[in-house]
Amino acid sequence: MATTDSARPTIQLPAQPVEAGNSRPQERFRPSAGGWAARYAVAIGVVTFIFVLPIIVPDESAANLVISAAIFACVALSMNMLTGYLGQLSLGHQAFFGIGAFVAATIVTSNGLPFVAGLAVGGLSGAFAAIILGGVALRIRGLYLAIVTLAYGLLAENSLFLIRGLTGGGAGLPADRPAGFATNRAYAYICLGMLALLFAFDWRLMKSKAGRAILAIRDDEKVAATFGINITGYKLLAFVLSGIYAGLAGSLYAFQIGNVVAAPFNLALALTFVLMAVVGGLGNRVGVVIGGAFFATIDTILELVHSFFIWLGGLVGIHWGHGLDPTLAPVIGAALLVLTLIGHPGGIGQQIAPLQNWVRGGKFTLHGGDKPAVVSGGGSVGRP
Amino acid sequence: MAVLEVHDLGIRFGGLQALEAVTFKADEYEIVGLMGPNGAGKTTAFNCITGFYEPTTGTISYRGRDITSLRPDQRAALGIGRTFQQVGLVRTMTVLENLLTAQHARIRYGAASGMFGIPNALVEERELVRRAMEVMDFMGMTRLAHTPLAGLPYGTLKMVEASAVLATDPDLLLLDEPSAGMSPEESHEFGELLLRIRKQLGVTIVMIEHHVPMVVAVCDYIYVLNFGRLLAQGLPAEIQSHPEVISAYFGEEETYGAA
Repeated sequence: MATTDSARPTIQLPAQPVEAGNSRPQERFRPSAGGWAARYAVAIGVVTFIFVLPIIVPDESAANLVISAAIFACVALSMNMLTGYLGQLSLGHQAFFGIGAFVAATIVTSNGLPFVAGLAVGGLSGAFAAIILGGVALRIRGLYLAIVTLAYGLLAENSLFLIRGLTGGGAGLPADRPAGFATNRAYAYICLGMLALLFAFDWRLMKSKAGRAILAIRDDEKVAATFGINITGYKLLAFVLSGIYAGLAGSLYAFQIGNVVAAPFNLALALTFVLMAVVGGLGNRVGVVIGGAFFATIDTILELVHSFFIWLGGLVGIHWGHGLDPTLAPVIGAALLVLTLIGHPGGIGQQIAPLQNWVRGGKFTLHGGDKPAVVSGGGSVGRP
Repeated sequence: MAVLEVHDLGIRFGGLQALEAVTFKADEYEIVGLMGPNGAGKTTAFNCITGFYEPTTGTISYRGRDITSLRPDQRAALGIGRTFQQVGLVRTMTVLENLLTAQHARIRYGAASGMFGIPNALVEERELVRRAMEVMDFMGMTRLAHTPLAGLPYGTLKMVEASAVLATDPDLLLLDEPSAGMSPEESHEFGELLLRIRKQLGVTIVMIEHHVPMVVAVCDYIYVLNFGRLLAQGLPAEIQSHPEVISAYFGEEETYGAA
């Protein structure tokens, strides 16, 4: 050793106030009063349109479509929480959705509790189901965790949901809507209300410390930890919130169909959920909601288009045979997925980003939007 | 009392003894240099101090408190800030959002208050933005506040990273090769900045650095690691002329950077 410690000088600093520099942030574009008015008009117009939908749709079956769209949009927010924000692919979301549905039906039918209790317990049961999976997520990541979620979903689908004592087996569990909401038009308002609630909650979350912590964990766990973020805690929080969203959506679904059976909660549903989130645009709240609504209604849209072409063909004397019928839905979903993955990683969210940016008070440019498109899982997929 | 005391630190990865019986300390307001050839264990020592690695032997104390068993985020919350060799930032966020994220441990409102948009949380969010702007002002980065990180040049990212670490309100700064990839002029400026940070923010700094002129100009005391062991320690002038250090690190019969 070269020296002893005694040779080491002691550093003393005079107390000094922090000097302030005088640089200014880049001037951000601010719209004029008229610009704001136009922006508010568009925003209010869109929200109003969504909330008058149950009234203006032609019949009850169309109102049922609005219900499906709202419920799938809630699930899309749930997928977005795990896959978009936390960066973890979930292939077992039908488990949370189904558990929410069965628990809500049980609470209302078997226990005779009110509708609101069914919703609340349904949501909490989704959270409980998710926290079990979250415990696994603390140990493994990426592709390996994705496979565990797949197994988890299949386990729920093929064993848990088939236990006669819990789910009523093939006969299913009845779930009656609350008084006054028996029609689809009325029930659609409950579903849209829930969607609005989750949407607002999700928006606040991502503007607060918990949201930033979850995003930081997705990008780099080490960096997140050096920022003082409790990795374990916020990962579990993301799982719990995702489970609550999906559980609530599942509860709403139970009352939509009125009798819950195991059959719909299958792997195909889980894959549809993934499609909704990816095509919608991972990390983009508005995008995934549109994605959810789209995949909830795609069958009907195709049917309408199909009958329109039949009608058109009838006019000009052409017989179409089989054309754009609903059997094409999976093909269209797959094509959109490929299109998203190859050219537009931000999905629908990327396409609407310029508009979103404009409504928030930015300038309208085709390449607008505050943030670059988020491609989730880039850092963690493949790393055990 | 020393700000950081590392005592008898040792860590073994399989057959490799990455660190063995390493002891060093940093006193209040000191800038301590950690030097050594590639693979000497400098970054491994940092990873032990910040809690990413669990040392096989030894203890790490921060202001007299044994922190060896704390989680990384708990150590960060105590006031230990760190930069990385590869820039440690949240890449999908803007500069300002990074600085907001960095203040995580300083936020008083609970996670739930934030989610439900409780007024307290909203007020504190504005305070966070103000503090972030203050740090950016200090670093001369205000212009970039709303810029996304994607696409910023490496040198700028390094400065943003330094800003983010300052936003964590650290008491002890661990800098892992801060001047890597900088030109001599830039690293000279960075050295000046470090001295200014110490003077105005009153932090203690431990830095891993290869750039000898900067180390000599900035550091008060230097430890040299070689093959996971402490090779030498002393004042910069002594280290520069230390025969063992010269042979292990600088090469035979050569003195670099007579500043």
